[in-house]
Amino acid sequence: MLRLEGVTKRFGGLTAVRAVSLEVAAGELVGIIGPNGAGKTTLFNVVAGYYRPDEGRVRLDGRDITGLAPHAICRLGLTRTFQLVKPFGNLSVLDNVTIGALTRLRNLRAARADAERVLETCGLAPYATARARALPIGLRKRLEVARALATRPRVLLLDEVMAGLNPAELAAMVELVRRVHAEGVTLLVIEHVMAAMMRLARRIVVLHHGELIADGPPAAVAADRRVVDAYLGEEFSLAEA
Amino acid sequence: MAGLRRRGALLLFGLAALAPLVVRDAYFLDSLILILMWGALSAAWNVASGYAGQVSLGHAAFFGIGAYAAALVSARWGQSPWLGLLLGVALSIAAGAVIGYLSNRLRGPYFALSTIAFSQVLLIVASRWRTLTAGSEGIPVPFRPGFWTLGLSHVAWVYVALALALLYYGVEVYLERSRLGYRLAGVREDEDAAEALGIPTRRLKVLAVTLSAALTAVGGSLWAQYVGFVDPFYVFSIDLSIRFALNTIIGGTGTALGPFLGSILITSLETYLRATFSGVRTGFTGIYLIIYGAVLILVVRFLPEGLVGLARRARATPARAQA
Amino acid sequence: MDPARPLGPAEIEALAQLVVSTVLLGGIYALIAVGLTLIFGVMRVVNFAHGEFLMLGMYLAFWAFTLGGLDPYLVLPVSLALFFALGLVTYALVMRGVIAASHNVQIFTTVGLSVALQNVALVAWTGDFRYIRPWHSAVVLRLGTTAFNLSQVVAFALAVVLTLALFAFLRWTHTGRVMRATAQDRDAATLMGIDTDRVYRLTWAIGIAAVGAAGVLVAPLYSVYPTAGLQFVLLAYVVVVLGGLGDMVGALLGSLIVAGVEVVGSYVVGTAWKEVLYFLLFIAVLVFRPAGLFGQRGAETLGA
Repeated sequence: MLRLEGVTKRFGGLTAVRAVSLEVAAGELVGIIGPNGAGKTTLFNVVAGYYRPDEGRVRLDGRDITGLAPHAICRLGLTRTFQLVKPFGNLSVLDNVTIGALTRLRNLRAARADAERVLETCGLAPYATARARALPIGLRKRLEVARALATRPRVLLLDEVMAGLNPAELAAMVELVRRVHAEGVTLLVIEHVMAAMMRLARRIVVLHHGELIADGPPAAVAADRRVVDAYLGEEFSLAEA
Repeated sequence: MAGLRRRGALLLFGLAALAPLVVRDAYFLDSLILILMWGALSAAWNVASGYAGQVSLGHAAFFGIGAYAAALVSARWGQSPWLGLLLGVALSIAAGAVIGYLSNRLRGPYFALSTIAFSQVLLIVASRWRTLTAGSEGIPVPFRPGFWTLGLSHVAWVYVALALALLYYGVEVYLERSRLGYRLAGVREDEDAAEALGIPTRRLKVLAVTLSAALTAVGGSLWAQYVGFVDPFYVFSIDLSIRFALNTIIGGTGTALGPFLGSILITSLETYLRATFSGVRTGFTGIYLIIYGAVLILVVRFLPEGLVGLARRARATPARAQA
Repeated sequence: MDPARPLGPAEIEALAQLVVSTVLLGGIYALIAVGLTLIFGVMRVVNFAHGEFLMLGMYLAFWAFTLGGLDPYLVLPVSLALFFALGLVTYALVMRGVIAASHNVQIFTTVGLSVALQNVALVAWTGDFRYIRPWHSAVVLRLGTTAFNLSQVVAFALAVVLTLALFAFLRWTHTGRVMRATAQDRDAATLMGIDTDRVYRLTWAIGIAAVGAAGVLVAPLYSVYPTAGLQFVLLAYVVVVLGGLGDMVGALLGSLIVAGVEVVGSYVVGTAWKEVLYFLLFIAVLVFRPAGLFGQRGAETLGA
């Protein structure tokens, strides 16, 4: 479904992403982990069209989407969320999601109805008329996901949607991601919250200094020496997860 | 909310429609015409700056283009000013495309500065290019009675201005209720997020600015025919650009009725003060502008949603499709 | 003209004159621009009212001369103090509340201030064009074959002194360093315990003092009227954009470039069209090199 071929992105003298190749099958949920500055968000930016890679290609469902504008990529079925959430602050929660729904639907009324359904799925229905900027961070993150969902993506890129959530919100978000995955959406999830990641993902990819250093099931990755040295610090016990 | 707005609009435009049947005083009708015209022009500004979030301080550029097009076509080339209006639309679309391009390169205050620079370039060109525009002397627009030549009575002008105002009000309402309008709101609120949601932000910005430009030019053409004289130092002035913004901000940026409410307040105050103080020292007319400057500072800080926001708060209704 | 032919005496003379005029003009523009770029660099505010403070400085010089017979250069120290105070007042009344506000709020706040100040001048002193012509504006100095006006030279010299003083202040005093730190990273500055409100107040007041003083200096050279600030402020923005936002040295270099364009432009196409030239230059810089010729920050993104 999504294929990255040797993607490299440089900023001046710094190579943020170095020859990353990755293949994600339809319906997979792949976790992406790595220390800060490893290039995870940069990778998302390249895939979603915000940056043009210096080398390599990105293919969505076989089609080359390298260098296309972000909105074109969204129309082709790939949507991303932002690590620092970007709600449409002055608009209501419902309007935020409606705008997402308008990507696929031309009719405003139908889009609004669709948005209401998405709000229901994400547990945001009670806040429909609230102004987005009045929401606390936990709900903002959920709104970010809901809005992206409304675009009916085939591939969804989630960038640290769990960060900053309290345990209850975290559990709810994990549930939401699981439900989205169950509906057949292909997911790429960047996360630092290891417990959640290990629970959700059956395949984890590790980025370090822009390079892909591990790719496999959670247990294998957690035991990988290089990953432990670079990121985990000590062997992550799955029993704790 | 929609009910309040609809009732407000009905009241305003209804009164405007009925007024000439009741009042025949030329001064009053003149004020009414100007209120409607400035309201419409401010609504045109609102399309780019309020709804699409591209704050321009150079809309006089488009106004002047429309004014000159109409004046030149009717005064110089003896054709109907309606043709001049069409010419103005064509030229302003080209100018709007330029500004739209700038809006994709520059944000916020720097975009605003570039719009000022653009309008000033046009001012200098118009005031110096004697062969085309009669230079700094301006162009008097001849009055030839008839609809085709836009030589109309005051009463007729009220209805022309009202039609313009209703049309522009309609455009604003459309922007609030349509897919395009919602997506523009997304562009206004956060461009990166809008892009991620499949909205072609660059294209929409150019569209909004170009539409706004064309609407402004039409207003400029009609204004030129009504007032009868086109002075480059006025039609391209920064003061004029600020005026469109002032009306809208006071009334409520990004709301459909806002520009008109602002225009009522500002224009009537101005015509009243001007008439009252015309005998006194000429500098006195500057007083209302000092007040406007102060009001602008206060409104933008303490009443960001303008008069419309005030009305909403008074009714304690949460805003919908917040623009 | 054959480019291979060495310049004849007449051409060298013209060139020398252009260079001298450019430098003299550039010095004055620099004083206007450094205040503006300082305000932008530290406060991240585009001050649309900057020209109006210049205009007020011109009026100060005018009235001091007309009513008190005082030469503008004597008024200069007083003007610095006065405009510094005016800066403090306008900061407290107008600017403090909008430092943290959105760009649109800031734009219209300074636009409102600009409108208000212009019309205060209009109401108080009418729109008549005023002039002051102290004795030195008629004195012509000659160096070789170039000629220049004493007023220009003194204005230039004083402008350079003030600008250098400002540079020294920013470079070597503690407060100056604090201001530069705040310009680099507002949040870090706050975390370091810097009182940003105090920094902004000072920055604004200094910027206003600089431009007010510039107004006093140029009063003998231009006409004085309520909208006189307009031409200067747009020009100052061209300078600031050319030099890079918040870049003081860039503002100096930018001043020379703009002055050069103006002088050469007037010579080549006449004074009527030179304004078009520098507006086109402005738009061109904004479009092609928004970070300025020397700067690093982009004008297209205005992140705080």
